[in-house]
Amino acid sequence: MKKLLAILLAGVMVFGLMACSAPKEETPADEADTGTETTADTTETSSERVGDVNGDGKFIVGYISKNTTDTFHGPINARAIEVLDGLKADGTIDDWTGILDGQTDPGVQINLADDCVTKGCDAVIILPAEAEGSAPAVATLAENGIAVVVVNSKTNNTDELAVAYSGSDDVYAGTLLAQHVVDNVPDGGKYVHIQGVLGNSAQIQRGEGIEQIMKDHPEFEKVEEMTGNWNSSEAQNIAQDALSKYGKDLVAIICDNDDMSSGAQDVVNAAGRSDIVCVGVDGNNYPLSLVKDGKMLATVLQDGVGQIEAGIGVVKAIATGESYEKNIDVPFVLVTKDNVDQYYTGE
Amino acid sequence: MDKKGSKSIYTNKDELRLFMGKYGIGVILFVMLIALIITVPSFRTTSNFINILKQVSINGMIAYGMCVVIATGGIDLAVGAQCALVACLLGQFIMKMGMNVLLSCALAVLFCAALGFVNGFLVAKFNMFPFVVTLSTQLIIRGLAQVISSAQAISMTNAQFKLVYLGMVGPIPFPVVMLFVVTILMYMILHWMKLGRYILATGGNEKAAIASGVSVFWTKIAAYVISGFLSGVAGVILTSKTSSAQSNLAVGYETDAVAACVIGGTSFAGGVATTPGVLIGILIIGFIYNGMNLIGVNSYYQTIVKGIMIIAAVLLDLVMNRKNR
Repeated sequence: MKKLLAILLAGVMVFGLMACSAPKEETPADEADTGTETTADTTETSSERVGDVNGDGKFIVGYISKNTTDTFHGPINARAIEVLDGLKADGTIDDWTGILDGQTDPGVQINLADDCVTKGCDAVIILPAEAEGSAPAVATLAENGIAVVVVNSKTNNTDELAVAYSGSDDVYAGTLLAQHVVDNVPDGGKYVHIQGVLGNSAQIQRGEGIEQIMKDHPEFEKVEEMTGNWNSSEAQNIAQDALSKYGKDLVAIICDNDDMSSGAQDVVNAAGRSDIVCVGVDGNNYPLSLVKDGKMLATVLQDGVGQIEAGIGVVKAIATGESYEKNIDVPFVLVTKDNVDQYYTGE
Repeated sequence: MDKKGSKSIYTNKDELRLFMGKYGIGVILFVMLIALIITVPSFRTTSNFINILKQVSINGMIAYGMCVVIATGGIDLAVGAQCALVACLLGQFIMKMGMNVLLSCALAVLFCAALGFVNGFLVAKFNMFPFVVTLSTQLIIRGLAQVISSAQAISMTNAQFKLVYLGMVGPIPFPVVMLFVVTILMYMILHWMKLGRYILATGGNEKAAIASGVSVFWTKIAAYVISGFLSGVAGVILTSKTSSAQSNLAVGYETDAVAACVIGGTSFAGGVATTPGVLIGILIIGFIYNGMNLIGVNSYYQTIVKGIMIIAAVLLDLVMNRKNR
């Protein structure tokens, strides 16, 4: 009997715990609200909030992440928490949903979009898991009049339905990759291209950029094009195979991301072939450390934190009634030994 | 202490124990529901309840299949991969070949049921561990999906097919209707039909089942076929929901399905499973996600709460049923 009660209580408490966090979280927001109303007339009164689409007098922001586990997305989410908490504290927005975990799953992102509608969000930031699959999430939000800000990569309906897109031009990233190889291997030769997950918009566009440059450089021959699924260990296997297949003819390995290029670089360095140029996109910590140690020539940095800052900037503009840019291009940067200290923060 | 506590509420404490053993998890669901209704204003709207049912429909289908398999003492890890395969098949059938939507769905689901047959056959015929069998077929099926789709996403623009997820029957979305129908069917199979009793008997005590004339071989195969069939149906809904046919859909969906079964009192030792229990498990998981999102609980904690809920449910089940026996 005692045990029974204990277990029941435990169950209730677990739930009570999460339920109780609600009022606690909301009170400071309410206080901030009344505070601004009485002290300053410059901010909108709660009944006529700028950007309020559902008429509840509040401006609530949703944040649907791509995932909470990737090395690339971790810093983006961390920065989002920082900035959005700041906007909530100074009363620019009334509340936000916290990081909703998209689990790199379009099905989950669609559920989260429904939850955002229910919660009464007025603007939602989404980092799509898939160009195709996450499109219904953007559509659901837009249908409910919510201002959708797409960040990092586009869904196929972003141009027609989102109020703004903040990301980087992946075709340009591809040209940076190829140009880097062309500059560092003046004589040309055979190269291998390791792709991201096939069908992913970043994979398609980066490949396009590489081709744009390489078509003017007949001294280079693409001997292999395979997918490493954005994955370092798969890229290492491909690099290993290419090394034994093409031997000294192999001059470069171009990868769609730098988890893969750093993996490939590790393999060629271990084989004593550090003359092979490996390069990829993202600017993750490990590849940057390789550049810093002189073990890799360069990597192309995608400024994810810059993308999310720009995306949140749009939300802020909507909340305050300012104008904003519809398409924000956050530039890629080629990181070499010369400028690596600017971007590599260490562990 | 015990006597006082129980006497004030119930005249017979055995009655309470029996009640809790049978419906304890339902009480938890009820408490969750009340707590959410009181604390979260946006939770208690009709549209949100329909929304939750729509969200859980996919996991619900898979969980019903899973519970039948677990009841025979097995497990089916291939369900997620089967969903993805259905998606890729539908992409080919509807978008590439322009086949009739209904026919395409039927073919894809039947193919999944056939894959379930293979799983069941390997388990029943060669007495292989279900975990190992379905772990391997999961890889094979996922690979097959990649081969069929060349790992490219196909946009499912067919308007008729989109209705699978977006269509309504009166005010009720179509996936919810499907979940309702499947719930009734599963109730009939598990609680009214001979097959249900055979399934529970096989999982409860295989030797006794054989001794009493149950064909354990066909019972096990039937369980995996049901699981394959239902994950096929779930795959159709998922494909319509994401309007995208690609091989990397539904990764890890077996976890939520197993969780729903376990929360719903399905015993991993086999032999115990109830349809209402699994339904409650499905709903509890739906409430956890939806409720915590509406409250604004950090997603990291949601995962923790789900884990704690599963352990609490199993503990509850263990304590209750040990005393009842």
